[in-house]
Amino acid sequence: MTTSGPPTPGSGETAAMLRMRLRRAAPVLLLLLLLAAASMVPAPADEAALRLGSPDTSHVEQLRRAIGDLPSGALVLVAFDADLGTYAEIRAATRAALADLASHGAQLAMVSFTPEGRAIAAAELDRITRQGGGSAPTDLGFIAGSEAGMVRGISSLVPASAQGSMVAAIRQRGGGIGAFDLVLIVSGSDISARSWVEQVGPRLPHLPLVSIAPTFLDPELEPYLRSGQLTALLGTLREGIAYAEVISASSTTNPGPITRPLPMLVGMLVALGVLVESAVRHVAGRVARPTFGGRSS
Amino acid sequence: MNGFSGSDLSGTLATWVAAAATIAVWSYLVGARRLFAWLQYLLAGLATGYLVLLAVHDVLIPRLAVPLLASPRDHLLLVPALGLVGLLVGASWLPRRATAPATAILVGGIAAFALGGAVIGTILPQMAASLPATSLASPDLAGEVLSLAITVLVLLAFLHGEPRGALTTRAATLGRWLLVGGIGGWLGFLVASRLALLVDRIAFLLGDWLTVLR
Repeated sequence: MTTSGPPTPGSGETAAMLRMRLRRAAPVLLLLLLLAAASMVPAPADEAALRLGSPDTSHVEQLRRAIGDLPSGALVLVAFDADLGTYAEIRAATRAALADLASHGAQLAMVSFTPEGRAIAAAELDRITRQGGGSAPTDLGFIAGSEAGMVRGISSLVPASAQGSMVAAIRQRGGGIGAFDLVLIVSGSDISARSWVEQVGPRLPHLPLVSIAPTFLDPELEPYLRSGQLTALLGTLREGIAYAEVISASSTTNPGPITRPLPMLVGMLVALGVLVESAVRHVAGRVARPTFGGRSS
Repeated sequence: MNGFSGSDLSGTLATWVAAAATIAVWSYLVGARRLFAWLQYLLAGLATGYLVLLAVHDVLIPRLAVPLLASPRDHLLLVPALGLVGLLVGASWLPRRATAPATAILVGGIAAFALGGAVIGTILPQMAASLPATSLASPDLAGEVLSLAITVLVLLAFLHGEPRGALTTRAATLGRWLLVGGIGGWLGFLVASRLALLVDRIAFLLGDWLTVLR
């Protein structure tokens, strides 16, 4: 016995609602399909044809110089406090920096002052261990208390149960943040390079601080770079990609995939199209409804 | 592609769960609000569980319980800390007068660190760095003068309700447009940033999950 028959008013309403929802979502779905198609197009052989990396390499050079000036076997603290929501933007640059530090013979230790940062740091440590090919950074874990924890870390950073040659070297130099030759701050919204500049900078003025930050933090952090409170800063997607490209070209270790330029170009063109369409509609609306007395009703 | 998941069974499972969650979140675009709400509950639950685990595993046990049990005489300050933790844990049942000191210490400490750091680490050094050089041969004199002019014009844009002359009004209008221009530039950066995150998610679906992207 079959249940098929003429559509009921209920099913007709559902179908109409679904059509309406699909019609509303069509522009976004189309954008997703466009980006997917652009992602699948192979990269052009001529790399100069479409580049995402910033041609201004001054920020990249500052970070490379800060890492290049480190003595062999230098102790470097990686403060991992990125956000889960924005880490994808700085992932390539962060991995490139870790590879760059490792290729310069630096001894790395990771610490986090935010729960989100701790989750990402644990995932990165797991990835580095899985990849092998060198010693993984020493895990100093999570320190609670945000800024207060950071200040406490100046005198004592290493957990009591931690062991190993790196831990011994840190303890030999005092056991706090001051034991390190450089701090690489992977910034997020809760704890960023700003927190380090405000809390650690005045207490350890000779400790170089470098940072990799998502774009939304760049306007906040750029003044610290200009005043010299930060030694180096990669604060935009283009700077991060330029740095990752330089490291990929000069290092034997692969820092991982870099954001492709074609889908970014397609997305930016769509964004521009939306802006232009909105502006045209606004102007056309004004022309169609002339205002009286300088004010619209 | 993003390298977080390995090629073993747990890595494959994690990739499938992440892909399913991504598609389920995007289903909000076609109006699947219930599915989206379930994912929000899932996220909230996972985040809460993770925070509890982190607090117990990384803070309370190694930094409070172990030192107190191992050598209580060397860690006398941890005794009042244990009391404060107890007060905060029982905040729902205890009278407000009992829990207020713990909350006050917590909020006061955070505020003191934030304000002290802002003054010593940001305001004073940034003021010193912003002062124009005494010599006219400053390499960026034009930039310094321009910065000063823009700052004054933008500050004028915030003058509300005060009687203003024609010149001040024009300067304030110019300052408002400079402010809008600055915000527009920042939003442009943000569009590129968020687009990169979307492209990364698509690359994850195509590369890590469907393995059609290499």
